[in-house]
Amino acid sequence: MANNVFTISGLSFAYGQKRIFEGLDLSLREGVVTTLIGANGSGKSTLFNLMTKNLKPSAGSVFLRGGDVGLLRLRDFAKLVAIVHQRNTAPADLSVEKLVEYGRFPYRALGRRADAAEDERMVKWALETTGLAEFARQSVSSLSGGQAQRVWIAMALAQGSKVLLLDEPTTYLDVRYQLDILRLVRRLNEEFGMTIVMVLHDINQALHYSDEVVALADGRIVAQGAPERIVTSELLEQVYGISLRVVDVDGKPFVLEV
Amino acid sequence: MVSPLRKAAAFVVTAVALVALFLVAVNAGSLQVTPEQLFNGLFVAYDDTVSTIYDLRFPRIFIAMVGGAATAVSGVLLQAAIRNPLADPGIIGISSGASLAAVLVTGFFPALLFFTPVFAFAGGLIAFLLVYSLSWRGGLSPLRIILVGVAVSTMFTGIMSAFSSSGGATSSSVTSLVDANITMKTWDDFQTIAIYGAIGLVIALLVTKRCDLLALEDKTARSLGVDVNKNRMFISAVAVLLASVSTAIIGPISFLGLIVPHVARLLVGTSHKVLVPYSVVLGAFCLLLADTIGRTIAAPYEISAAVIMSIVGGPVFILLLRKARSSYGE
Repeated sequence: MANNVFTISGLSFAYGQKRIFEGLDLSLREGVVTTLIGANGSGKSTLFNLMTKNLKPSAGSVFLRGGDVGLLRLRDFAKLVAIVHQRNTAPADLSVEKLVEYGRFPYRALGRRADAAEDERMVKWALETTGLAEFARQSVSSLSGGQAQRVWIAMALAQGSKVLLLDEPTTYLDVRYQLDILRLVRRLNEEFGMTIVMVLHDINQALHYSDEVVALADGRIVAQGAPERIVTSELLEQVYGISLRVVDVDGKPFVLEV
Repeated sequence: MVSPLRKAAAFVVTAVALVALFLVAVNAGSLQVTPEQLFNGLFVAYDDTVSTIYDLRFPRIFIAMVGGAATAVSGVLLQAAIRNPLADPGIIGISSGASLAAVLVTGFFPALLFFTPVFAFAGGLIAFLLVYSLSWRGGLSPLRIILVGVAVSTMFTGIMSAFSSSGGATSSSVTSLVDANITMKTWDDFQTIAIYGAIGLVIALLVTKRCDLLALEDKTARSLGVDVNKNRMFISAVAVLLASVSTAIIGPISFLGLIVPHVARLLVGTSHKVLVPYSVVLGAFCLLLADTIGRTIAAPYEISAAVIMSIVGGPVFILLLRKARSSYGE
């Protein structure tokens, strides 16, 4: 398990009578960008919520580098794993800088800052890495959708964890900002060695920006591996229930989504 | 965004207004003193007029200020905890639950008078849990909680009025609690409200960061290590405590916990680190203003502070409701 960031074993989960997972096993590698893909209702969001402690499995466990996340306190989990959820809202008058500072909350002891200098350094780094330094004093609500998404990523970066989880980070954004976010994610992996796990809807973006893809269908893993190795017309039919052509562009698979 | 300068200005202006209002309130009535005479009478030499004012008006003024502060902060916390800008301890039934318990204690167990806030707290908690669970349907709709709250509040108020008018109320203190009239109060009452109120306000100042984080989406707050449900319940309980303390001594006041936080947010922004202390000052000012107007406008008759708050607060609530409707889509 040394090189795996998440190890999921025998995971079962149901929403009431509706069974989503039954004895699911999955390992995700440390230090790479992994994307979960699947049709609506395939279980990828549920899996994401199980990995982020928002849902409790009925059986089995999610291990983070060998430790059961179910036993971790939320605050300790927040120091190890940062999460950017799909939907976010902030008070209209909250500044970018203040929001990014929230990322330091897990490090507060007894309601006080434990290490103010370290907090300041991390917030500065997060703002610079996401290209938001010049907007630091503006309110979050005055930013465009793409910039706002970067603010939430910056808040997650300020947590200082080596693992970043993103739930459909490009939804609601136009294509320019979608690529902007995905390039940032790629950079976080390559420059800072962060492990990234994300859920994406767009197949080609998933293929292009991921080292590894996990394809889900009906609560089962149907394929896992490097995109160029696993993506075929047959797999896509199995995952999405529709026949799509796969062509080769610059040595990478490209799915014709029309 | 609200600039630091504006926040400071809001604090200073409100604090000065509070001091000025205090001097007016001291002089409102048949006895009059100049500020100089007041100072001398209090700190230098015995003065008959000042002594009378000290015993009769001072407790009332201080009780109004502490009660106003507690009720306003209760509104701030409640709005943060249930993410509902229309939450008010009066409207959603907390105050009437607390006040029913306070009336029962005052009427039946006068020996336990100092612990009235504790019983009021229990009553307030029961009312809050009742409203919370009755309006829960896989989530809390801001308008549903208010509808259920109004129903619960009306019921408790009805029981209380029945108790008060059926002659069960032997003392005038019960009647004054039901009407929320800050009259005939003593230094003992002030001591009670000050001790319990201080406990609630100190806790409120310690949870301001958590209030800020609850304004984010639940999952995002959790991702920062905040146990959203636990914090929500705890902050609600502090809100109930503050509203109950005020209710136990003064009686139920509606709309104060709604209007003060709204005005405060406009003036100093949404960060609870500033919003909570500012609401203390503004809440104290508003209730003292309502009480002072109430006892001067139709002198020698007194109109209770709660009545004044209702007359002013009703229209403001309707305005806020109309504004909120567009953002909640219900």
